[in-house]
Amino acid sequence: MKRFMKVVLVEWKLNNRNFLNLFFALVFPVMMLMLFGTMYGNEPTEFMGGFGGVDASVPGYICMIIAVTGLMTLPLTLSQYRERKILKRFMITPVKPIELLVSQLVVNTITTVIGMIILLIVGKIVFDLHFFGNILSAIISFFIILLSIFSIGLLVAGLSKNVKVATAISYIIYFPMLFLSGATMPLEAMPESIVNISKALPLTYGVRLFKGVWLGNDFFDYTGEIFILLGIIVIFSLLATRFFKWE
Amino acid sequence: MKAIEVYGLKKEYNSIVAVDDISFSVEEGSIFGMLGPNGAGKSTTIECIIGLRKKDNGDVKILGLDPIKDNSKLYNLIGVQLQETSYQDKIRVSELCDLFMSMYDEPLDYIPLLERFGLLEKKKNYMSELSGGQRQKIAIILALIANPKIVFLDELTTGLDPKARREMWKCIRELRDEGRTIFMTTHYLEEAEYLCDEICIINNGEIVAIDNISGIIDRANIDIIVSFETKEEVASLIKENITGVSKIERLNNMVKVYSKRDDIISDIVILLRNKNIDYSRIDVIRPTLEDAYLKLTGKEWEVK
Repeated sequence: MKRFMKVVLVEWKLNNRNFLNLFFALVFPVMMLMLFGTMYGNEPTEFMGGFGGVDASVPGYICMIIAVTGLMTLPLTLSQYRERKILKRFMITPVKPIELLVSQLVVNTITTVIGMIILLIVGKIVFDLHFFGNILSAIISFFIILLSIFSIGLLVAGLSKNVKVATAISYIIYFPMLFLSGATMPLEAMPESIVNISKALPLTYGVRLFKGVWLGNDFFDYTGEIFILLGIIVIFSLLATRFFKWE
Repeated sequence: MKAIEVYGLKKEYNSIVAVDDISFSVEEGSIFGMLGPNGAGKSTTIECIIGLRKKDNGDVKILGLDPIKDNSKLYNLIGVQLQETSYQDKIRVSELCDLFMSMYDEPLDYIPLLERFGLLEKKKNYMSELSGGQRQKIAIILALIANPKIVFLDELTTGLDPKARREMWKCIRELRDEGRTIFMTTHYLEEAEYLCDEICIINNGEIVAIDNISGIIDRANIDIIVSFETKEEVASLIKENITGVSKIERLNNMVKVYSKRDDIISDIVILLRNKNIDYSRIDVIRPTLEDAYLKLTGKEWEVK
């Protein structure tokens, strides 16, 4: 355990030395909040279903943070570790490469949580952000979404031949989810065709669940979304376990 | 004592045979060098010995252990430098070494190791700031942190400049003098000649020859050449009076006598003296490891 904590600590330091990792997880979401918050304000409006614009957008931004750590940082780091034979090097030590992989999951989870906390603090101070739901439901929802997105990221990392392929796949998955899942732009404002596309994106269900729970709906109103997300966790982690290439 | 014993090792990738039924053993405390062209099966052999790959057939014992079944025990006893491994760019030398120290049961402290390899002042540097030679030294240091009984070095000096290579040679000899066993692969014949107690030449997954350096050269069964200059016609004279001559070549005034006989030069000198033949610049050209290698592998040595 002590040894594993050491691996986590080193990975944590390395993660924090990468400017892009920190920018997109910690700074970019706050920039989004400042931009759209200034435009829409946080007064309750008809369009937002009687909620303030910021109150209704922040859960989506949190899902965006999960997507950037899970679909960009995680697969790109791991595929780089494989390409550079770092995973292979770990195979011939008493530490197994799976510990490196798990420590990456831990590090990216911590980064996501910190990104969320910064967003909440800025939201509270600048826009008087409100949370209408049940804390426990929100925490459970957060981790269901996180695990489902991370398991997709793991499969991308496990299957990509090299960093170039991983980068291409990550972008192809990440950007549609960023703009078309309701994470950054409300689906209510989108035409029918986009709404249909959004149904194919896993993050859409995450955003629906988290936004719903955030705005005070019951956790069990979203059993459909929860089942889809849990299904993604099971299927993608199994596939990742089965097909992960260590070298 | 044998540090490594390999019997009938066989490994295929998608029905292409990479290593075909090879057997050898490595004496404890010696430097064992595996030589061969690219794709000969050197790395595959190492990876089967250290349990990174499952062998298809044969038996491998390393320090008396099975490389796959006993691997957690084994990895505390061996240190490995793999070909072409790089580390995270933004990791500091001290952090990487510290991480490796935390992995092993009885690690060596990395500070004296850095000092010994002249890298102590690079302790706080990022790996990306080191030169190729310095990175290879770190690779050895990481292998040594395990305090290993056997050190595996897979093409350690490929891509290093001559000075850095010579520094590495010194380090490797020191490791042997500490009582460690070294298993190395290399592309460079002069490196093998300088370092190895025993050389195994491998080609197309098969062992071509395995012996010490003079043994390898003997096995290749190459003529030594006695060359000298003379104006007179001596070919038939030498053929009639000296036994064991394979052939005689003449180019202008230069005569070359080929033979397997190591002492033929004295016979030639005596003969020329007795017949009062003027000669000059007599010389013996003995086969080198490179000649033996080329003959045994039947391949042109690739220039890197």
